[in-house]
Amino acid sequence: MTDLKAVFSHSPDVVTRKTGDEYVLVPVTNNIADMESLYTLNETGAFIWDLIDGKKNIEEIILRFTREYDIDHRSASEDVISFLNEMSKYLIIKI
Amino acid sequence: MYNSVSYRESSVDFYSLYMQKEQIGRMRNYNLNIAGYNIRIESAEDGPDLVPSQRFRRNIVQIPEYDVCIRVHHGSLKPKDDAERLFVAPYVVEINGYKITRSDNFWSVYRQNGDMLLITNFPESPSGKKAMLKFSFALREWDLWIENAGSETDPLEYPLDGLILYYLTAINSDIMIHASGVYYNGHGYLFSGVSGKGKTTMAMIWDNIGAQVIHDDRLIIRNIDGVFRMYNTPVYKNDIPNNAAIDRIFLIEHGNENKMTLLREASSVSQVIANCIQHNYSQEMIARFLGSVSMMCSKIPVATLSFKPDRSIIEYILRNE
Repeated sequence: MTDLKAVFSHSPDVVTRKTGDEYVLVPVTNNIADMESLYTLNETGAFIWDLIDGKKNIEEIILRFTREYDIDHRSASEDVISFLNEMSKYLIIKI
Repeated sequence: MYNSVSYRESSVDFYSLYMQKEQIGRMRNYNLNIAGYNIRIESAEDGPDLVPSQRFRRNIVQIPEYDVCIRVHHGSLKPKDDAERLFVAPYVVEINGYKITRSDNFWSVYRQNGDMLLITNFPESPSGKKAMLKFSFALREWDLWIENAGSETDPLEYPLDGLILYYLTAINSDIMIHASGVYYNGHGYLFSGVSGKGKTTMAMIWDNIGAQVIHDDRLIIRNIDGVFRMYNTPVYKNDIPNNAAIDRIFLIEHGNENKMTLLREASSVSQVIANCIQHNYSQEMIARFLGSVSMMCSKIPVATLSFKPDRSIIEYILRNE
C-alpha cells in the first residue's frame, strides 16, 4: 500500500529541460548521460513533475492534480501513483 | 557513444584525381577552417613536420586568427595516477552490416587537474602511432603528443580529427550529428539516422535532381545569430567545405511508403539526441547539450520520415512543405 504521506524530490542524477509544456529528462549514471533511458513528459506528466519538490506529499500532489484536471480522486490517485512508481526507477528519490 | 566514421568509395571525380597527384608537402604550421572553426596546427620546436591528409586540403586557409591552436610534439605523455578516466570507447568496425569489436580501448578521455586528456590509437596508421591531446574547455592553446610519428606526420588522422571537432562543438554549444544534408531551391533539409537508415541514399536521390549535398554522413550544426546552419567536415578526400541554413529536420528510415509524422517538441528533442555524437560525462555538459538541441527543435520542425528510395520522396517532401 502506498504511503500517501511520503515526500519525493527530483534525483540529483537527472538533467531536465522544459520544452514548451513538456519535459525531457536525462538520467545520469556515474556522470554519464544515459541517452538510452531518456524520458519525455507530456503536459500532464510535466504538471506532476513540477509538484515533486521535496515538500509536498503524495496526498497533496493528488489533490492539486484533481483540481487542475477536474477529475475524480480515484483516477487522479491512480495516475499520480503510477507516475511516481515509474519515476522512482531513476528520476526521483524518497526523502 | 562516438561512432566511427564510415568511408565510401567515391565516384570518379576529376578534381580529386588531380588532387591525389599533388603533394601537400611538409609544413611547420597551417590553419584550417572546418565548420567555421579556425584551427591552427603548429609543430613545436622539436616536433615532427606536418603533412595534412588530402581530405583537409580544401580547408586550409590563410587566416591568422584561430579559435584553437594545437601544438604538436614528439613523444608520449601518460595520465597521472590520480587522473580520472571519464570515458573509454571500443574500436568497432562494421563489416557487411555486422559490428565487430576490434579493441576495447580505442580512445579514452581523462580529467587531470582541470585539464582534459584524450588518448587515442590510430587504427589506419601502419607505424603504430598513438597520441595524447591535452586540452581545456577554457584555453585556446592545446598540446598534442604523437608517439611513433616519424619525421613527418598527419596530426589529424582518424579518429583524432573527429574527436577534436566533437570537443569544439561541445565547447561552443554546437551539435555533431549523424545526418546527411541537402540544399534545394532555397531550403535546407537535414536527414538524420544512425548507420543503415538511409542517409547516403537520401543524399544521392537529391543529388540526382541537382540539389547541393552538404554531406551524406556527418554534420555539425551551429547556431549562428539565431539561424541553425549545417556544416560538413572533411571526411572524404573530395569534400568541399559547405554549409546551409536548416529549414526542416527529418528522422529517417527505409519504408514501403513515404510517410512523415511531425513530432511534438519533447519527442523531437529526445529522438534527435539519439542520433547525435556525444560523450557527455558531466551534468553541465549534458545540460548544455540538451539546451542546444531543445533550442534547435523549438525553431525547426522535426518529423519522422519513412521513405521509398526513389524520387517520389522529393515530391512528397516538397508537397508537404
